[in-house]
Amino acid sequence: MNRKKNLRLTGAVALISAVAVTLAGCGGRDDSSGGARGGSAGITDSTVTLGITTPLSGPTAGPGTCTVAGIKAYFGAANAKGGVKFGDGKTRKVEIKALDDAYDPQKAKSNYDQLKGKVFAMTAGLGTPTNRAYREAAISDEVPQVLVMTGDPIFSDKGESPMQLGFVPTYINEGEAFGKLLAASGKEHSVAVLSQNDDYGQGYVEGFKKGIEGASNVKIVKELTYEATDTSVDAQITQLAGTKADVMFNAMSITPLAIASLQKAQQLNWKPSWFLPSNTSSPKAILEPGKATAFPGVYSVSFAKAPQSPAFAGDEDVKTFLSDLKQYGDYSDVPAFPHCMWSYMTGATLDQVFQKMTKPTREDFMKELRTVSAFSAPLMLEGTSVDTTVDGQPAVSTVQVQKYNGTGYATVQSFG
Amino acid sequence: MGQFIQLFVDGLSNGSIYAVLALAIVLVNQATGMINFAQGGMAVLSAYATWWLTEHGLPLVVAILVSILLSFVLGGLIERFVMRRFERGDPDTAVVVTIGLLTLITGICGWLWTYNNKQFPSLFSLKTVDIFGAAVSVRSIGTFLVIVAIMLLLQALFLGTKLGLALRAVAINPQSAAFSGLPVGRLLMAGWGLAAALGAVAGALVAPQLTLTPGMMDSALVYALAAVILGGLSSPIGVVVAAWLIGVLENLAAVYVHFIGYDLKVAVPFILIFVVLIVRPQGLFGRKVVVRV
Repeated sequence: MNRKKNLRLTGAVALISAVAVTLAGCGGRDDSSGGARGGSAGITDSTVTLGITTPLSGPTAGPGTCTVAGIKAYFGAANAKGGVKFGDGKTRKVEIKALDDAYDPQKAKSNYDQLKGKVFAMTAGLGTPTNRAYREAAISDEVPQVLVMTGDPIFSDKGESPMQLGFVPTYINEGEAFGKLLAASGKEHSVAVLSQNDDYGQGYVEGFKKGIEGASNVKIVKELTYEATDTSVDAQITQLAGTKADVMFNAMSITPLAIASLQKAQQLNWKPSWFLPSNTSSPKAILEPGKATAFPGVYSVSFAKAPQSPAFAGDEDVKTFLSDLKQYGDYSDVPAFPHCMWSYMTGATLDQVFQKMTKPTREDFMKELRTVSAFSAPLMLEGTSVDTTVDGQPAVSTVQVQKYNGTGYATVQSFG
Repeated sequence: MGQFIQLFVDGLSNGSIYAVLALAIVLVNQATGMINFAQGGMAVLSAYATWWLTEHGLPLVVAILVSILLSFVLGGLIERFVMRRFERGDPDTAVVVTIGLLTLITGICGWLWTYNNKQFPSLFSLKTVDIFGAAVSVRSIGTFLVIVAIMLLLQALFLGTKLGLALRAVAINPQSAAFSGLPVGRLLMAGWGLAAALGAVAGALVAPQLTLTPGMMDSALVYALAAVILGGLSSPIGVVVAAWLIGVLENLAAVYVHFIGYDLKVAVPFILIFVVLIVRPQGLFGRKVVVRV
């Protein structure tokens, strides 16, 4: 009995000392993370560390995994060539620390807390609620949270978000591009709208309405919404089909629902021209199973060359990208999500900023971040570019409207 | 009128998705006396097995049959080696364990097959037939018929066979069942195995519609549980009718009741549960639990 007690006591002491040692270890690491003399955390004379919090598990893990793979591919290739040459004359290797937040804002915040002392900047993470979860903390800690994958305009507003910059076009940019194209067609159009009942869906619809403002030839005949958690939108499609609209504006971010919408409309023999947002317009994952060729046209917007599209099969950018992705991004498939390409471009954009930085500080980084303009990152479509100098706009705000041609997308200048 | 019929039929086909999962929950409940939250996860795992087999060249029907068999074995093993430890204790603990199982199985699926959506081949085509002016897909009709068949089979199993009687006996009072010479352990394994096998059918029916992802059944599970409560835990026919009712009412309420709309329609089944539980606590078709004092 006594021995048992002793044993337990010893166990407790061992446990406490183990915890103490671990804590001491942590403290030690935190102290040393100051990095280069006079520089910010996460940067030394030979390395710079970037942090990512993004969904690597759960329903959004597909695109989330891509946001890590793309940037790893870009900087993996750059590191293999020796590293990135910074404006202060030093060549640094770029390291990526990525943590899984499962699209959970709470987890994203705690990931950020874990990373903030160790990384130079947060970047590339996917998700509006998750990026919002640590936006204010990043501002007060003065940690850059840049080129993140969210279409929420708040990240590109310098007044509200001094330490932030979004990378991808806002939902409004996307909706507006299609609205303008439709308004310019010169023909009469009636539009049915089905949108996700959140900032995402509302942003698209707002942009679309901005695009068709003043155009007398475009009329919205019915607007319906659905919840992101719904398993079916059959009822909405049935109701919209009743309007016999010739254009369907479908601001939807849920893959199975997008497929089901296309299928349901065909079953009801309603075949309008169809708009889908950039993140749910994948030919392989959505349009093929949805049998999109049945419609007179499926439109989407993009700024990245799609590796699945035969139009870019021989493209040098695409070939390099795919081999980098395989070799350094640990991603062997041809990506079904554009996020892989986006975060590859994020890497290229950061590379530009690094080249301009004359001091290894976050302050200098944020200053130079806002000076990239007319930069044509690898994989960018003609007519689009990175421009970080416009306040209120993300790094990429121009998109090309594209039409599905049965295998991939081709850029179109006019509707029809 | 055309729209009304279409919405009604759409509702039935949505309801069928909830129904097939609800049936599996009822089966486990009748055979083991508990609610298995992992049922959705197990169905997804079976669907992945089916998908994997078709990817390796097996015809769909064969793949489904093999997967049913595998699921039966796996269900039995889970009961024997995981659930058995909790069955004697507090029933609440066991229920929480099934929630843990759900998370675990979802994680395993994601780890093995990634979280990307997989295209699952459909048993039935998407061609449509015209019924009273509504376009109904062959897939919906097929799913509908399979569910009716399973429902009748289960009803027959529980009410008309010795095995069904034994399963129910074990679920209601394992101790007395053991005293009367029933192999309780094996019957519990069989119950879980059967439910898992039914899950495999459910997965194969649902996956083409929802596309295969580890979390495919999560929202359907909520509706299925609603159907189970509404229809009565002990009645296969009851839960299927309840699931159809939920599907149809949800659609009609969204379109014709303006203050509900598509934003609030998710609340419809739960308001329904509320009302039914006040009027008939055992569910629409459930048997009253009577305890002799």
